[in-house]
Amino acid sequence: MTALLELRDVRAAHDRITVLHGLDLSVAAGQVVALLGPNGAGKTTALRVVAGVHPVASGQLLLGGRDVTGADPRRLARAGVCLIPEGRGVFPNLSVRDNLLMMTFTGRSREEVEETAFARFPILAKRASQAAGTMSGGEQQMLALARGLATDPAVLLLDELSMGLAPLIVGQLYEHVAEIARQGVAVLVVEQFAAAVLGIADHAAVLVRGRVQRQGHPDGGLRAELSALYLGSSA
Amino acid sequence: MTSTETRADRFVSELAVLKIPDPAAARAGLWLRLGAALMALGLVLVVSAYFISHNTGDQLVQNDALTLGLTGVAASVVGSALFLRYSLTGFLRFWMARQSYDLTLLADRLLERDIRHDLTGTDAAPR
Repeated sequence: MTALLELRDVRAAHDRITVLHGLDLSVAAGQVVALLGPNGAGKTTALRVVAGVHPVASGQLLLGGRDVTGADPRRLARAGVCLIPEGRGVFPNLSVRDNLLMMTFTGRSREEVEETAFARFPILAKRASQAAGTMSGGEQQMLALARGLATDPAVLLLDELSMGLAPLIVGQLYEHVAEIARQGVAVLVVEQFAAAVLGIADHAAVLVRGRVQRQGHPDGGLRAELSALYLGSSA
Repeated sequence: MTSTETRADRFVSELAVLKIPDPAAARAGLWLRLGAALMALGLVLVVSAYFISHNTGDQLVQNDALTLGLTGVAASVVGSALFLRYSLTGFLRFWMARQSYDLTLLADRLLERDIRHDLTGTDAAPR
């Protein structure tokens, strides 16, 4: 399976503080890769680097086998890189329908966008005229996912999907993510709460202080090591 | 686009035609423009200084005009140096590519002639 997304020895910094110290990671089409780690490990920065919104200090970002380091994030987004940021990124004062309308910038019609969104998340059809900010957290996250899917992504980047949601809702959302991946989308998920994503992930990497401490198939061994890595005992 | 083409295939082909600006090239362009701007600014300052000094009898104003004129000369010199440095880089890069291409052509021609000479035992063309 060829990698649709690849990070090679990527280093990135916030001002003068280096956050990523040579990150190597790859995601193939149809694969779900979980990037786990405690607060401040550099997970969100890694996602922002892939989306092209955070500069790479050194190393390479490859998409579809091509080195796109330094490419304009708008061009990457148009090509099919979709970042769903932490905090959902929906417009709370706009209705669900208007939130979806915002995604017609990709050239797809309003009907097409709504059809795709409502087919995957039927609850959104019922809430079409409701202000997004008045919906439950889970429904807002569904709207965020629907908005992302409206761009017809090839690479989907999810930042803390489970943030502030009940475990049951998180489980349902990750079922949707697994379904999206089965359609050939490369999915990179950043999560602080590992249990939520490990059930669907094909591969997991644990990032501690900007370095991958452990990666592999999310089997029992990796799960067992996670708590130790989070607490820093083996870092 | 064919019906069998997956999203991943489309993604790869879209990225293949994606234009990625070389950050170093952008910087060189910036220096080149800055050099040209400094040259122009220097000339403007020198001409202004000339008119200021000739339209007054006040020695203090003339001293200011002198300073302005010298600043203009300095700006022009620095601007010219920058412009020359970065325009020469572009020209030399092109010249080197051309040289490299010519040398490759020459090497190919010589190689071809030597092979022909080895096969026939005679020179196909005068050296």
